[in-house]
Amino acid sequence: MDTIDRVWPRDAAGKVPYWVYSDPDVYAAELERIWYGPHWLFCALEAEIPNVGDFKTVTLGEKPVIVVRSGPEEVSVVENRCAHRGVKFCQARKGHSKDLLCPYHQWNYSLRGDLQGAAFRRGVRGQGGMPADFDPKNISLRKLRVEVVNGLIWATFSDETPPFREYLGERFWQHYTRVYDGRKLEVLGYNRQHIPGNWKLMQENIKDPYHASLLHVFFVTFGLFRADQKSATEIDPTGRHGILIGRAGKQEANDVTSDMRTFRGDIKLADPRIMEAAKEFPGDDTAGMITVFPSVILQQNINSVSVRQIVPTGPGGFDFHWTHWCYADDPPEMRLRRTRQANLFGPAGFVSADDSEIIEMSQQGFSHAPDEDALVVMGGREIESVEHMVTEVGIRGMYRYWREAMGI
Amino acid sequence: MIDRDALRDFYDLYYNTLDDVRLDDWPALFTEDCIYRVIPRENYEAGYTLSTIYAESRGMLVDRVMGLTRTQMYAPRYYRRFPGPLRIVARDADSVRSRHNLLVVQTLIDKQTEIVLSAVCHDVAVRGGEGLLLRERIVVFDSEMIPNSLIYPA
Repeated sequence: MDTIDRVWPRDAAGKVPYWVYSDPDVYAAELERIWYGPHWLFCALEAEIPNVGDFKTVTLGEKPVIVVRSGPEEVSVVENRCAHRGVKFCQARKGHSKDLLCPYHQWNYSLRGDLQGAAFRRGVRGQGGMPADFDPKNISLRKLRVEVVNGLIWATFSDETPPFREYLGERFWQHYTRVYDGRKLEVLGYNRQHIPGNWKLMQENIKDPYHASLLHVFFVTFGLFRADQKSATEIDPTGRHGILIGRAGKQEANDVTSDMRTFRGDIKLADPRIMEAAKEFPGDDTAGMITVFPSVILQQNINSVSVRQIVPTGPGGFDFHWTHWCYADDPPEMRLRRTRQANLFGPAGFVSADDSEIIEMSQQGFSHAPDEDALVVMGGREIESVEHMVTEVGIRGMYRYWREAMGI
Repeated sequence: MIDRDALRDFYDLYYNTLDDVRLDDWPALFTEDCIYRVIPRENYEAGYTLSTIYAESRGMLVDRVMGLTRTQMYAPRYYRRFPGPLRIVARDADSVRSRHNLLVVQTLIDKQTEIVLSAVCHDVAVRGGEGLLLRERIVVFDSEMIPNSLIYPA
């Protein structure tokens, strides 16, 4: 592999150099070593392709793939690139098909991606045809490894990726199965936005509870996620995955909120139904925001549950695909509650729009200062889980792992 | 019956209110029990309820305005809305159901103007206030990828 001509700051845990967000060589290496390396990438909900032949197209890293139910108990993920001339032959977002067909020269693949036939293989009236060494058995779409884990479909380009549960680690397996407990899921709907900032900023955003208590006036004011409430910031042993755990409180003036310029004691909602939460998960925690490195955020905040997929489009931007879901056995009032609470999230979210805006503003601020550094020392320089949210440990953990994966 | 001229006058008022950023006047253009949704086309066509903006009452629209003016953080920008020809779909004595296309564009500091939404509005207007009010407004947008944020209403 090419080496990257960059030096990490001497204050290794406390600083992040801005070149990580803008250097095209670093980005190219990230695609190879992280996105196409030994990591599980989120693809889709199993509920999106219930019947054999149902497919959905998504992008992993920058590579288009087709996620297809190839058998009653089997999901295949194959690259959306014809083995003949490289056409991204499947253009629909979703659909149903008995096979995978490239329209250019009618090369035809099974749902598992194996070539079944190529038009004019034996020529036409004795003319043309493929040479004797052409054997369809040796040709297929590129296949990815797949695991379907409690309703979510994961894929990896690498043979070295450990099994998904091992990839998460036992502690994060517990966090994952708290919400993805094996019950059937259903799609509530999608939101899609392009955010003009480096993809890691999205991971950092959900690994950084420090900002949530300050930037998000809506959270702070209505006490959904605030520094004076019981909370925790956990990372897995590698540092790559994280979770922010919070417990909702009240709209109250106290010694902590008086320190927040953004606390608004006088705001009242005209229609507070958006904040009506129902307890549905074990324990007293009301929010669990999991970052699974590198591709996805698994959101549970009160009753709003969603999967937010990151698709990088270059060093300076990424597409952000939100799939909000509900449990298949949710009663109508629970679906309505989740639909209402989704007003907090997405491109127009009372909370999330702050994040997409601040990510764009971050990229604008440092993309022309690659040799300067960001400071990430809130809570010290340690890299271990803590029982509060006044910390940047999640960011420090991710970069410790990132340097290891990137060899920098 | 609500005639076409009355409906056109109402939309002139509606879009002028938003384009002039008189946000506090906007919820008053809806009935108390209104439905207001800005929803991606793929959700609408699949029958999914999830909307990018979702309100079930005038109060929730008031809260949207409160969020925009008092809690949210965003870069300054101008929005401008370009409604297309009006098509009346159905009407009875007190209400009219109509459709029109809508293009919403934004301009940020130092940036070129860009399209935020390319949409069709499915509306139901009724008599009320000083003329008409919207009882239902479903803005179904084709746009597959919103350019970062959707800040102001459509």
